[in-house]
Amino acid sequence: MSVTDGIAVVTGAGGGLGRALALELAARGVRVAAIGRSPGGIEETAAMAPEGRIMTVMADVADADAVRNAFAAITEAAPVSVLINNAAVYPRRDFLDESGESFAATVAVNLGGMVNCTRAALDGMVRTGRGRIVNVSTFADMAPLPASAAYSVSKGAGRILTRALVADLGDRFPGIVITDWMPGMLATRMGIADGLAPGVAARWGAALALWDDPALNGAVFEMNREVLPPRGLKARLRDALLMRRRPPRVIPDS
Amino acid sequence: MTADIRETLWDVIVIGAGMGGGMAGRRLAERGLKVLFVEKGPQGYRAEHQGIDPEMGDPVARLLRGYWPGPIRARIDGRDSEFFGPIGAGVGGSSVFYAATLERPERHDIEAIEGRPHPTGGWPVGYDAMRDWYAEAEQLLHVCGQADPLSPEACTLEPPPPLSGVDAALMRSLRGAGLHPYRSHSAIRYLDGCHDCLGTKCPRPCKMDGRSAGVEPALATGRAALLDRCDVRRLCGTADHVSHIEVARGGEVFDLRARQFVLAGGALGSPRLLLASASEAWPEGCANHSGLVGRNLMFHLNEVFALWPQQTAPDDGPSKAISLRDFYHWQGQRFGTVQAMGLKAGYGEIVHVLGGMFDRSMLRHMRALRHVTRLPAAVAARVLGRAQVFVGLLEDLGYPENRVTWDASAPDAIDITYTLHPELLARRRAFRRAIRAGLRGHRSLFLTHAPELNFGHPCGTLRMGLDPATSVLDADCRAHGIGNLHVADASFMPTSMGVNPSLTIAANALRVAEGIARRREAGE
Repeated sequence: MSVTDGIAVVTGAGGGLGRALALELAARGVRVAAIGRSPGGIEETAAMAPEGRIMTVMADVADADAVRNAFAAITEAAPVSVLINNAAVYPRRDFLDESGESFAATVAVNLGGMVNCTRAALDGMVRTGRGRIVNVSTFADMAPLPASAAYSVSKGAGRILTRALVADLGDRFPGIVITDWMPGMLATRMGIADGLAPGVAARWGAALALWDDPALNGAVFEMNREVLPPRGLKARLRDALLMRRRPPRVIPDS
Repeated sequence: MTADIRETLWDVIVIGAGMGGGMAGRRLAERGLKVLFVEKGPQGYRAEHQGIDPEMGDPVARLLRGYWPGPIRARIDGRDSEFFGPIGAGVGGSSVFYAATLERPERHDIEAIEGRPHPTGGWPVGYDAMRDWYAEAEQLLHVCGQADPLSPEACTLEPPPPLSGVDAALMRSLRGAGLHPYRSHSAIRYLDGCHDCLGTKCPRPCKMDGRSAGVEPALATGRAALLDRCDVRRLCGTADHVSHIEVARGGEVFDLRARQFVLAGGALGSPRLLLASASEAWPEGCANHSGLVGRNLMFHLNEVFALWPQQTAPDDGPSKAISLRDFYHWQGQRFGTVQAMGLKAGYGEIVHVLGGMFDRSMLRHMRALRHVTRLPAAVAARVLGRAQVFVGLLEDLGYPENRVTWDASAPDAIDITYTLHPELLARRRAFRRAIRAGLRGHRSLFLTHAPELNFGHPCGTLRMGLDPATSVLDADCRAHGIGNLHVADASFMPTSMGVNPSLTIAANALRVAEGIARRREAGE
């Protein structure tokens, strides 16, 4: 079974990068399930693709029960072979304006959504031992910007989730391949005005999601290039001595 | 579901769902008996593909993966060490991780023949009595391969897949040296897209093991059930009868009842459970009148060497399909088989070998130095190039002081005491000399230097024999004096033989199960 045989689920597909990813996958001949919080956005996305290529599923990714139901509906059509965890919110809010509840609500979407969707997608993936999960990530956790605490914390936790998933599943299910992807600064509602067109980034993201190589498990990509894990001086020296240095991988076919 | 299981009086409870328990349970269920498998580890997911990772130390993570959770705490030649062995805990037991080499022993492994006396005088069951069980095990496990040209005994083998280029070159090369290589006997069906799961769980019913050829067909009969993640704490009963077992599962402790019990927790696990079952009825432990429960522990010694084919061989992967028995019994001495390990002498394997040497050396307490082994390994990988890795298995003999013991304060730790006897060390030197001499004309290099025990091949700890004073089990593998307690794992073996134990475990488990079914039919 190849990853293109099943359905690719894209969360947050009602606009921005999620819409572009869904359309790019559909253009590559993949069946797509577009998950969104409101019907308007995802239906618009589906209408932009060839007839019948994109199914729309309304669900709030923060709601575990809704996500379970959504995946049950999708799986009835075909097994889920690809998941792109894209849905996220970025409320610009001074920490002094946050309440425990408002902070937790952001975490519930950005981290909880990733957990809910990944958990639901894995039900089918562990049966076949195959699957592809791409977590849309940022470097926001490295040096949090002002008025971005909940976003930085939850997106950083998402990156930890990727590593934790690899620790739990990597050796047992080498055919379930999980990677982080930083799309770059985009010209979307969440991004910056003079950023990258989401359609350009989506070509990288879709190609990465369809790149089904077990050796990618746990890898981190920024735009179309791999970000190698930071290495200390000693480790770099040892790599050089043993000729183990390898160049960062580049996403092919994008 | 467990409420049903708890209220049932089972025909047979099988403790341990590995190769022995799996095959015994399958035969019993197929013969119409109601069978419950009680397994310490998890059933797991069928698509899992992990191998055994000796570096993984966390007991929760280990058990989830089907590894025995605790360490082996070994006192070897008086020196203490602690490490994780290649021991499974889960459906299929250790066999889901094995390399599926299922070779029959030689006649002299089991009984005395002219010019080849047997160290114990012979097993209470002779080769001819075992032969049909071997044939049946070979059939159920889909063993493929080629007959050993040196053996007069026929095996029941399916044809092997086409020989790889590297194996063909090695065959020619070894034959040219006057040796008798043949296609190893392997329980892999080579289904389309076979991953060749040597050392890893097979995600499909392609590698045949205690799970795919034992527990799964047993469950498919509809007469067997499985209780996984279930710790058996003790056997309970009267002097001559086991009435129930006390188990712990998910924080609950309860009893499970059956008419017959088959113990198949492995040669390290089964004797420990009997020792843990000491009670008023069995003050020395269950079935331990002889005091021999846990004793006569045997392993094989691994003699690992790299071998270069004489002719240039195509570089199409590691050899895994060749065995030879030219050194099996040599100038009156009991050695064992030689087989390809399915490894190329590449960088990783050499790091592993060197790392293992390091762990056994005096430097082992300085962990930081362990990385130093990587440097010579990088050099060695260049020098070794395309060598293939072989292992010679040297038969170990039973000594009562070599034993596995039970520590109630650390139930998951496997405590063993083992002394390398001068007799074994002398035989080892002779084995290595024989291999070296026999491979004349080939470039070869031993990768093991200090004696290396094969912790994946434990056996002998509940010895089968006719005399209750010098053995634990009778010829039917029933405990002397306890009519409804049977053993179906490697514990029964009076000697360790010169081959991998799995086929013998499977064959004997079928024999034990058939005995239970027949006695039941006879109304005993």
